[in-house]
Amino acid sequence: MATQTLILLIATLGAVAAAAWRARPWLVPLAHARPANRLDRPWQRLTVVLADIGLHRRLLRIRFSGVMHLMIFTSFLVLFTVIVQAFGAGFFPGFSLEPIGGHTWLAAVQEVFTVVIAAALGMAIWHRFVRRPARFAGSNRRDATTIYALIAAIVVTMLLEWAARIAAGGDPSEPYRPLSAALAGGLGGLGLEGDAAATASSAFYWAHIASILAFLVYIPGSKHRHMFAAAPNIFFRSLAPKGQLPPPPPAGDSDDQPGTVQRFSDFTWKDLLDGLSCTECGRCQAVCPAHGSGAELSPKQLVMDLRDGMTATNERGAAGDSPIAGGTVSTEALWACTTCRACMEVCPLHIEHVPKIVQLRRSLVEEGEIEPMLQDSLTSLQSYGNSFGKSPKQRARWTRGLSFKPKDVRKEAVDVLWFVGDFSSFDPRVQRLTVLVAELLAQAEVDFGILYEGERNSGNDVRRVGDEGLFDLLARHNIAELEGCSFNRILTTDPHSLNALSNEYAALGAHYDVVHHTKFLWELLEAGRLDPVSRSGQIVTYHDPCYLGRYNDEFEAPRRLIRRLGHDLHDMGRCRENSYCCGAGGGRIWMDDSGLAQRPSENRIEEALALEGVTRFVVSCPKDVVMYTAAVQALGVEDRIAVWEIAELLDEALRVPQPGSSAAD
Amino acid sequence: MKIAVTLRLTPDLTEELELTEDGRDIDREWIGLVLNEFDDQALEQAVLLKEAAGAEVTALAIDGEGVERLLRTALARGADAVRRIPADDAPSSARALTPLYAAAVREIGADLVLAGVLATDDLHGELAPFLAAELGWRQASAVSDVRIEDGDVVVRQEYSGGRAAQLALTLPAVVGLQTASQPPRYVAGSKLRDLLKVEVPEMAVDAAPAATGIEPATLALPDRGAGAEMIEGSADQIAERLHAILVERDMA
Repeated sequence: MATQTLILLIATLGAVAAAAWRARPWLVPLAHARPANRLDRPWQRLTVVLADIGLHRRLLRIRFSGVMHLMIFTSFLVLFTVIVQAFGAGFFPGFSLEPIGGHTWLAAVQEVFTVVIAAALGMAIWHRFVRRPARFAGSNRRDATTIYALIAAIVVTMLLEWAARIAAGGDPSEPYRPLSAALAGGLGGLGLEGDAAATASSAFYWAHIASILAFLVYIPGSKHRHMFAAAPNIFFRSLAPKGQLPPPPPAGDSDDQPGTVQRFSDFTWKDLLDGLSCTECGRCQAVCPAHGSGAELSPKQLVMDLRDGMTATNERGAAGDSPIAGGTVSTEALWACTTCRACMEVCPLHIEHVPKIVQLRRSLVEEGEIEPMLQDSLTSLQSYGNSFGKSPKQRARWTRGLSFKPKDVRKEAVDVLWFVGDFSSFDPRVQRLTVLVAELLAQAEVDFGILYEGERNSGNDVRRVGDEGLFDLLARHNIAELEGCSFNRILTTDPHSLNALSNEYAALGAHYDVVHHTKFLWELLEAGRLDPVSRSGQIVTYHDPCYLGRYNDEFEAPRRLIRRLGHDLHDMGRCRENSYCCGAGGGRIWMDDSGLAQRPSENRIEEALALEGVTRFVVSCPKDVVMYTAAVQALGVEDRIAVWEIAELLDEALRVPQPGSSAAD
Repeated sequence: MKIAVTLRLTPDLTEELELTEDGRDIDREWIGLVLNEFDDQALEQAVLLKEAAGAEVTALAIDGEGVERLLRTALARGADAVRRIPADDAPSSARALTPLYAAAVREIGADLVLAGVLATDDLHGELAPFLAAELGWRQASAVSDVRIEDGDVVVRQEYSGGRAAQLALTLPAVVGLQTASQPPRYVAGSKLRDLLKVEVPEMAVDAAPAATGIEPATLALPDRGAGAEMIEGSADQIAERLHAILVERDMA
């Protein structure tokens, strides 16, 4: 027995050493990464770990895969007792789980979960090799297959060991192991009984040990690292507001510490852990509007490439490490992202794709390497504070279409400061809606004012494009302007401005109460300050803007408003936190979209058209007005569906219907 | 080698121009100023030459509103030094300003001057030839593809019909540049931000503007001739009218 203990000890130590060797390519970069403090609010961190691992909250959003994973996960927990028994008995002769039911109920439970894991393995194989969902495209199939084989080997050797032991006779757990007993009967039929069966049992024990150790050695180089990395990765997730990007890494005195992410050592350890946690499940890829429209980006591929690039770089040594942006990850992929956050919302491991993309964009912008069309807009933003290349003095020109002159908040105190935003101020397609909102506010006798030429672009998308310095200049200009004004709340129709004002400016020490017009108009209705008199009772659908819904959790106000006005709201399949981006976010509206197979906005309009009877596509973001109006025209479906800003619905309902004409005219 | 680049701010034509009361100048009170686009090319070309062959680039501008910001941008773009040249009541004619630029170029000790071939207020491209005359240097205008070869500056000058010549100029020389070999690079906001507090040194020169004997008598805004129709109204109305015109003339 002592010899066997020694063999087991050597084998185990050898396997641990081999596993450590295989972990070295990523352990070294992790150790050299930049710091990140992710230890605050431990309970809040822990509850989500329990919900997303214990209860499989995010995994179960795809039912089949979620259930399958839950089966494998619980089987691993239960069958871990078998591993404890195997190694316990090996190291400490006489060790047994008998005191806690190892020969009775625990044996029975182990039997049940042997069936469960076998079934789950069958489901996994069928799913990956027969159903082959598109989200697996690009994932490493050989790795997945190897894991299936190793799990099968562990389970089969375990079962055979039990069966052989029963066949040898005198196993106290026999009555609780019906499956093994049946198998033992089969072995008996093959003439495996008595001493021969005892020898076979010992052989299967060693085979079982060998397959467990092989699994251990294999894991560090496989996506199955997630068994160990998932819990810490979720625990250490960012708790910053969803709409607040992390700052660039602080610049050091030497070239080793640039103020942007150029090499893997410029990432934080959490950024690198994200890659090591990735299971290549492709849920992010399936919801990505850039990937869906045929752009070069897949968030899954990006995370995999970063992970593989990191380990390869480490193996080559410091001499071989070239900049990540434009090397490991192509610039086209980086510019394709709309920063819509759909990927982060679905990732079962809470991987943070968007901050990494922005960090890498920052390194490109710093070198002056930007998407060709973007340069014009950014240069305009530098010179004029807007992307339209218009003089700041023209910002309030839309007010010429009003029946009154709005207050200048720089000169008089107001209740509500309206931060109008670039598109609402300058884009001719949106200006008429800006006028309409202003008239609605006046009708409800809201005490409001605007900043006139004092307003600049909020910088939300400038920051996402990666121009941190320009964002800083724009944000500080607006903060300084706002500081000189007296107001209670900030109103905006633009979710992007809303995000910057409420989340990004907070990081610069400026805190405001910011409200989106969907909520504000709803409040006016509730307070009886606006009185809808007509109901056109249309069947409509509503598109959740990324920066209102997914980023700032406002899903209800627009829906309440639509229903209150008497419309029948039919949600699209991809709604609320699973909304599908129009394709304009993250500065994409300033870039070239002519190379896409299908624009996300057109895909979205098709989704709406598939809903029975829907004739209005309701939006609540100035960029959506632009994007979807263009998409409806491009698809040539103006006769079937029309884009309506939510304020237009309200305006329609406030008008007394004229006999013989429709309220909409 | 030392390269001097002349930078000029010109009225921003995205805005409506108005005339002063006496009708002899545009009203400069409210207009925006932007870097002359050909000077933008010249600056880029100077930095490209510096990167390719090694050189010290100094950007020069006649002082005025917005010039500090302009010169800081030049530093962010890769210029090694910048100088603003004070000029009381600076005249707008390129020709009149030539002696000031020439004095500054001499003081820097530049071997090569890159100037934008023309500007909205110097449509005939007078700056480069007059500057060369003042300095007594070689000169070529309307050129592109500037390189330094064996101590000479080699440029490409295009003629009509796609014909072109390579010209070699012995230094010192003044070049009126049309296009740089690469489009002007983007300067990240962080670089502009970092330079916000940088002092832009003044360089007083011992020279006075030249008397050209030419003064504008009157300026005129665009004529509304018979062949032109000014379309006014909202974007929708303009689009509708444009569509109607295209249909009318069978161009749709």
